[in-house]
Amino acid sequence: MSYRTSVLATIIWPLPLLALNVYQYLGLASGQQVGQVLNAKYGIASFSGMIILGTIVYLLYNRMLWGTGASLQEERFNGTIESLFLTPANRMTVLLASGFSSLLEGAWWIVGVFLLSWVIFGVQPAIADWGAVIIALISTMIALIAVGVFFASFFVLTRAADQLATSLQAPIRYASGVAFPVAALPAVFQLFAYILPVTYGINALRSTVVQEGTLISLVGTLAPLYLFTAILIVAGHFMLKRVEAQAKRNGSLYKI
Amino acid sequence: MNLSIPKNTLFGLLGPNGAGKTTTIKLLSTLLLPDEGTAYVNGFDVAKQANEVRSSIGVVTGGERGLYWRLTGRENLLFFARLYGVREDKAKPRIDELLKLVELEDRANDNVEKYSRGMKQRLHLIRGLIHDPPTLLLDEPTLGLDPNSAVVVREFIKEKLQKEQGKTILLTTHYMEEADQLCDQIAVIDHGKIISKGTPAELKAGVQKIDVLRINATSVPESLVSDVKLIEGVQEVRTSVIDAVAGLTEILVHTRSAEETLPHLTETMVKAGARVRLIEQSKPSLEDVFISLTGRRLRD
Repeated sequence: MSYRTSVLATIIWPLPLLALNVYQYLGLASGQQVGQVLNAKYGIASFSGMIILGTIVYLLYNRMLWGTGASLQEERFNGTIESLFLTPANRMTVLLASGFSSLLEGAWWIVGVFLLSWVIFGVQPAIADWGAVIIALISTMIALIAVGVFFASFFVLTRAADQLATSLQAPIRYASGVAFPVAALPAVFQLFAYILPVTYGINALRSTVVQEGTLISLVGTLAPLYLFTAILIVAGHFMLKRVEAQAKRNGSLYKI
Repeated sequence: MNLSIPKNTLFGLLGPNGAGKTTTIKLLSTLLLPDEGTAYVNGFDVAKQANEVRSSIGVVTGGERGLYWRLTGRENLLFFARLYGVREDKAKPRIDELLKLVELEDRANDNVEKYSRGMKQRLHLIRGLIHDPPTLLLDEPTLGLDPNSAVVVREFIKEKLQKEQGKTILLTTHYMEEADQLCDQIAVIDHGKIISKGTPAELKAGVQKIDVLRINATSVPESLVSDVKLIEGVQEVRTSVIDAVAGLTEILVHTRSAEETLPHLTETMVKAGARVRLIEQSKPSLEDVFISLTGRRLRD
């Protein structure tokens, strides 16, 4: 029963956030008027599609951050981290597995939320290349796994990481263009936007799902996304080694 | 600490809380690095060949934690089997066999959160066996168990694991009777150092020259310990409360000669106002060994 409730809640809870983001525009003008302005200034034809895709990616980022990202911390609190570290299993494999399981949960969740949003908010997909959509989706999810892997060790190494991640949530939400185009931001915020993997994930999905983007047009977005993915995975790997080395020196990892 | 544990031995590390037993287990299981020196488990260096060590040992830490309480017992075992690299086709029959061994097969598909303390401990035990390691490190495996469950676990360790399966076992405990009953050899540890080593009989023989008197009494004043220590021949005096409500205290006296000490002891106790309920002379136990080595009781 608790799993069924959890599944239902997982799909339903993002909807009010989506609604908030959509209706903040509709409070000012009609959907058509908003669409015209966004199209004219930023080349975005479907404003509800823009918001829904941005919100979905952002929520996935949160899921990965507090799921995979908090996984080692949770193992510590549950007292199972010792049991894990006693096995010969590769530590990165364990983290990546956590990420992939979140990904599997996220995949059907994305489809479910998108379909619901399509029905409720009337998103009109404009897809020219389904292959590009799939690649954009997979690339985004892998990048978010990398975010989770990076934060997993970070949360354990620095006990203040939880507060840091929480305080960065709002800036990341705004800077990565969840509810409005990055180009609408002041220049200094745009700089911040372009060092966030979330920004590229959102751009990749928007361009392929509602802007008829093709694989070729994605290259400029995917290249930095892959670069950030690689950096985060490598950094996560070294931080995990550091976590274990520190634990072996002072035993702190095994105590709450 | 200099220690060497032969194959197929059930070796006990006996000491009070904070002596360093769990730290020793963590060092040997690669969770901690030694500050100095080296340690080898099954021929592998714990610092340089950690993965080989982990693959060749099973560690049982016990307690309420360390299991995934939202998974069933079977799911926990399957998960850890995969982490130890046991293929699923081999893991499943192995899990069935282990569950039967500890009589958990009827509850294998219940979530661990519904298990009693004893059931969790048995699950911990068989989790350490899932990959059939030749060596087991058992850290206080009966801690917190009721007496019946503790007996079951001890029997399992001695009869099944050591005698039938020929495992090499390092067991830490602060229960004297457990070490005495189970272990082929014991090292007594205190403040991170081994203070004595040998078989239980050898350790007890080391204190054979001591007579042990146990007295149960009520109305025991605090000054009695120092008064009794003044009696000639008395080497150690320790008290512990047996029943706080009834005010019953056990006084343990190590002396050169019980025959010579007893009259003076009873006189001293009567003068101090204590009411003697029971006096008995016993052979030295491992607890007496510990007291003779450290000057205090294991429970102090």
